[in-house]
Amino acid sequence: MAANPMHQFNVYRIGPEIKLGTLDISFTNASLFMALSSLTIIILFFLGIKKKTIIPNKIQLLTELSYTFVSKMISDTAGSKAKPYFGLIFSLFMFVLFCNMLGMIPYSFTVTSHIIVTFVLAAFIFIGVTIIGFLKHGLGYLKLFVPSGVPSLLLPLIIVIEVISYLSRPVSLSVRLFANMMAGHTMLKVFGGFVISLGLIGGWLPLSFSVALTGLEILVAFLQAYVFAILTCIYLNDALNLHH
Amino acid sequence: MKKFEDLKTRLRIAKSKIDKKSINNNNKSSSSLGIAMKLSTEMVAAVVVGTIIGFILDTWFDSKPWFIIIFFFVGVVAGITNVIRSAKLMQK
Repeated sequence: MAANPMHQFNVYRIGPEIKLGTLDISFTNASLFMALSSLTIIILFFLGIKKKTIIPNKIQLLTELSYTFVSKMISDTAGSKAKPYFGLIFSLFMFVLFCNMLGMIPYSFTVTSHIIVTFVLAAFIFIGVTIIGFLKHGLGYLKLFVPSGVPSLLLPLIIVIEVISYLSRPVSLSVRLFANMMAGHTMLKVFGGFVISLGLIGGWLPLSFSVALTGLEILVAFLQAYVFAILTCIYLNDALNLHH
Repeated sequence: MKKFEDLKTRLRIAKSKIDKKSINNNNKSSSSLGIAMKLSTEMVAAVVVGTIIGFILDTWFDSKPWFIIIFFFVGVVAGITNVIRSAKLMQK
């Protein structure tokens, strides 16, 4: 079981098989970890805001810190107009962060190392941001594809390029998170395998590598959640404050 | 009450320290690792999307392989503009 580094990404069914027509909607280990991370966030925040004291305890401090962190991120990148979307970005950030972090626990499953999960998140953001843009600016939102100061001869080509670069947003957003998580976890597993195969004499070097990589992976887990949230803010900024 | 006064002074000192720090490394970006990852995926994603659009258009108009070829290169151009744009954004 431990030999294959890709084995950790297997999705398997937990409990009975549930079918909706031809659709398989059984409860899998992926759904379990998504539910777990949402539950952890809810419990953390429930405990954090239960007692409001002036001198906060550790959990309250943690929740308040994460609140100010995200709210500062939004006001820095998307301005004050984006304040109503705080809930969306905060829950996105926390969900991705907790999925990544729960994946760092040994024997657990990393939900974000599957492209379909990250792509669905990114597609929701993409569609949502596009709808917000059209609601705010009407058809004027299409000006996003027409940069100012372009000769009219080049305009058809530029518009095609702009549309492609706009459509590539959800792809780059999802691929970045997925590739980082999957590469990191595969690497951890490979180095773990080296420890076993090199045995008691040679195994110490890959073991130290493994320890260092675990630290790096925790950094990457946080960083990718941060990048995911900040790019959502940037896209939201494009939709809210149209200037080109 | 004494505890609160103590906390107030400590808070003030900590805040002034933070202000000093944020002035010092205001322009420093959060992490170069994230930037490297961002730029590379930006490039790849545009190429992939361009090629997919070309493939769809080809199956519509039954004109293999012309649209794929054209849109592959358009995707490369879009990727490069994306990279330049996000690099400019980082420098701000």
